[in-house]
Amino acid sequence: MLVDLAGGWSPMLGRLAWSQIPYDNPILAPLFVAVVIGAILVLGLITYYGKWTYLWKEWLTTVDHKKLGVMYILIGLVMLFRGFIDGLMIRTQQAWGVGSHSSGVFGALHGYLTPFHFGQVYSAHGVIMILLAATPLLVGFMNIIVPIQIGARDMAYPYLNALGLWITAAAGALIMISLFVGDFAHNGWFGYAPIFELQYSPGVGVDYWIWTMELVALGTTLGGINILATIIKMRAPGMTWGRLPIFVWATLSANVIALTSFPALQVALALVAADRYLGAHFFTAGLGGNLMLYTNLFWIWGHPEVYFVILPAFGMMSEIFPTFSEKPLFGYITMVLASMAIAGVSWLVWLHHFFTMGAGPYVNSAFSVATMLVGIPTGVKVFNWAFTMYRGRLTFNAAMLWAIGALFLLLIGGLTGMMLAVPAINYMVHNSVFVVAHFHSMLLTIVYAIFASVIYWFPKVFGFKLDEFWAKTMFWLFSAGTALVFVPMYMLGFMGMTRRLDYVFNTVWHPYLLVMEFGIAVYMLSVLAFFALLYVSIRDHAKNQVGADAWGTSRSLEWLTHSPVPFYNFAVLPHISARDEVAWRRDNGIDHVQPDHYEDIHMPNNTGVAIILGGLTFVLGFALVWRIWWLCALTLLAIIALVIYRSFKGDPGYIITAAELEKMEKEAMRREAQVGKQRRQAGSGVLGEAIAYERSDLPPLVSRPSSPVGLDHRS
Amino acid sequence: MSSHASNVDPKTAELWDKSHYQHDVISTRTFGYFMYLLSDGMLFATLFAAYGVLSYQHSYFGGPTPAEFVKPWYTFAQTMALFFSVLTYGLGMNALKHKNKSGLINGLIAAFVLGVLFLALDIHDMMHLASLGITVATSGGVSAFIVLTQVHAAHIFFGLIWILVMMAQVLSKGFTTDVVGRLLTLRMFWHLQAIIWVFVYVFVYLWGYMS
Amino acid sequence: MSHGHDDPTLHPEVQMSTSRGYFSGFAISSILMLIATFLVTSRAVPPFGLLMVIAVCAGIAVIAQIYFLLHIDISEHNIWNTVALVLFMPLFLITIGLTWWMFSQLYLHTMIMPGMTH
Repeated sequence: MLVDLAGGWSPMLGRLAWSQIPYDNPILAPLFVAVVIGAILVLGLITYYGKWTYLWKEWLTTVDHKKLGVMYILIGLVMLFRGFIDGLMIRTQQAWGVGSHSSGVFGALHGYLTPFHFGQVYSAHGVIMILLAATPLLVGFMNIIVPIQIGARDMAYPYLNALGLWITAAAGALIMISLFVGDFAHNGWFGYAPIFELQYSPGVGVDYWIWTMELVALGTTLGGINILATIIKMRAPGMTWGRLPIFVWATLSANVIALTSFPALQVALALVAADRYLGAHFFTAGLGGNLMLYTNLFWIWGHPEVYFVILPAFGMMSEIFPTFSEKPLFGYITMVLASMAIAGVSWLVWLHHFFTMGAGPYVNSAFSVATMLVGIPTGVKVFNWAFTMYRGRLTFNAAMLWAIGALFLLLIGGLTGMMLAVPAINYMVHNSVFVVAHFHSMLLTIVYAIFASVIYWFPKVFGFKLDEFWAKTMFWLFSAGTALVFVPMYMLGFMGMTRRLDYVFNTVWHPYLLVMEFGIAVYMLSVLAFFALLYVSIRDHAKNQVGADAWGTSRSLEWLTHSPVPFYNFAVLPHISARDEVAWRRDNGIDHVQPDHYEDIHMPNNTGVAIILGGLTFVLGFALVWRIWWLCALTLLAIIALVIYRSFKGDPGYIITAAELEKMEKEAMRREAQVGKQRRQAGSGVLGEAIAYERSDLPPLVSRPSSPVGLDHRS
Repeated sequence: MSSHASNVDPKTAELWDKSHYQHDVISTRTFGYFMYLLSDGMLFATLFAAYGVLSYQHSYFGGPTPAEFVKPWYTFAQTMALFFSVLTYGLGMNALKHKNKSGLINGLIAAFVLGVLFLALDIHDMMHLASLGITVATSGGVSAFIVLTQVHAAHIFFGLIWILVMMAQVLSKGFTTDVVGRLLTLRMFWHLQAIIWVFVYVFVYLWGYMS
Repeated sequence: MSHGHDDPTLHPEVQMSTSRGYFSGFAISSILMLIATFLVTSRAVPPFGLLMVIAVCAGIAVIAQIYFLLHIDISEHNIWNTVALVLFMPLFLITIGLTWWMFSQLYLHTMIMPGMTH
């Protein structure tokens, strides 16, 4: 052992011991029981209905980008819920433990969480929300949509895609198991030196934090390579760069960020691991270490990361606004340039996360100017969306409401971001909840865009629409919750409330914190509305079935495929003639033209190697956390052996013959014709009348001048 | 350009692909791999940034500095071993061009042996340092020195395993699309290690020796 | 570009290897490293100038290797690799360069140490 470990170590079990299971924790013990019961229930139900073969064949071994994307989104939603519970716990502690007279239970002096546990809750909240909720949700959408938007059959590397999913799942499993075996880190989601050093965090929490994030970084890097190679090498014939759907451009710029920046995170965390495992002195307070170096390396990743999550959200908004304004996106070229500019400039601003750390006025000014510059392309996007909607035929369905909500939150978050870009202001509000409110506004922009996309693309993936009423109800409840939680938070930030307070010493802030707690209750109602949405939609799915062009006014290529998308995406690859190909075909009356003959197509096989490798990475992460060296070596060898095995086995794939294709296509077209006949939908709902989605009686909008300011946006 | 300013005439447009378009499997593989290599380069760039910050006088905390323990000519021998290894791999790839299986295998064997030589020299150097009491725990500056150089060495190690795997695959499968694709990506990987090594050698070993 | 059924050894990426190219890359980088080592060990040049010289040696060696070994050029087949490399280069410089600037400014402002050399 190169380092001194508190709590002992044995060769067989490393640091693992019975005492590491928190059986006496009043919150975790009942939770563990509930989880075990829930798990037994789920596993029991699957066994009872005999679905294991189905699960294994169709989902766990799949390399189909759509199924993988759905699983990414499922992981993201589950983790979003877990992260929300963490947020609820934070709010409750801060609403309860206010002032010296506040009561304390469960061993806490004030509130119900001890400082050490509160630290774990907000650290887990941050890590989960950013890396295990937002990122998988976005990656899931990119996975599903990008290949069908560019006319490809799958991603460039289907097996690698599956691997990325299961590695991300392994990371999720690792952070979940930290609830019940050991602790989690209490150094905040991004960590500080020297609190994460062994001396100040002698437990395993920081190790869980390190390896969870390393696994997510690995999964996301692999995914990034995949998406970039797909976009660059696998576009359908005729899909020139100028005809690429805007969401694909957004994905391209986002994944360029991912590819370039995640290695910095891997290094930053690996050096922390070197300090903790090998006794190195990268970030120690003595012997030549440099504390600020960690912060620097982390944020070299950290800042591009936030642009990695927001650019796909912008792309989603750029798809939704034109569809429900029945107009092409205003300023396509400037949107593309803006995305690229954001990706580029985002690399130059990372110091704004630690203006106060002492780099001096010259460095601070340079990074401040760069930060302000990055607001310009974002502003361009906001104006372009506004001009897209201007004089459009607007449909205020649930997806559009979420998108508009996202736009509104972007304004608030973006403007407060510009305020924070100024070091003079930053020095005043650094580490206060003003910053917290700012970045939550931005992250909520992403969440809103995600929910909008769920509603928008759900019919494409599953063949039926989600229930409008409950989707809108959820939107309004969620928005009310957002307002109630974050408006007071901005105020508290200006009043000087620091972030991460487990004990709030100033009772003047109490009313605000109570309002925020009420906001959390409203959020809880929106979560219930979400469950109602799922239940009602699935119950009524037969009534809400859709054809290829689910919304009637869709514009981009994915709406050419059947709904739900067949596993081969396109029977015959389309030849692209325009940007917004489906809108072009529909406006020229050629959207129902089908291919006249079919050819054999080559598809990749499913493989169990990906999920087994994912499982092995989970075990490796666990073994590293608990320093069970023999298990580390064993799993590492197993991983290498399996990778080599897979390399030898390869995958010849299989052929779908032209005859089989023709049969499947005819069946899909027959189903679509039936859906078209039976469906006649008039929307209704809370505070917004959805227009019927098949209004063929109105002339296409394109004949009207579409530019409000006389600029010809044909360029 | 609005979607309706397409210059394609809708009445005569080809809507469905008839050209049996298939994407190029090998170049898709090598391009993706090249992007991975660039991200690997970013990994090293970050390590260099960390090393740069930790190579001031105070980073050594009064303890041993590279000026004291670096042996330039010894490391130059390592450099030559690596460069020769890269050369022989390249010549092996040249043999592939002429469908010369034995030439390729000879190139792989030579690359492997020389790579092992590089690694052996490196390990010997590290063990020698350890025997002097110079480890990652000595000081921040030494931590950075050792981690940066050994991360490169770890890459070489995994590359050597890969060379062995490729030898087995070439012998058992011949020149299939997958095998050729992997040989190309391994070539790129191996050559990148030489490039990284130039930076490591000059800015870590030589510059450290000078300071 | 359909190479699905062709002989993979005829692929342009295989065909572009030349033994001349590999020898050139090898020779240039070896000689430059030899020069750099020799200059450093003989201590013939003062430190700052020496740093410049060996940095230039490294730079040229790397450029030679990138061209001869990685086949980075603007031919149709390699263009995307070149684009990717050109995209990454500034980021490498930013990571190392801005970090270096940041910390030298930091040390200037916060560390008052006599005899601080670098």
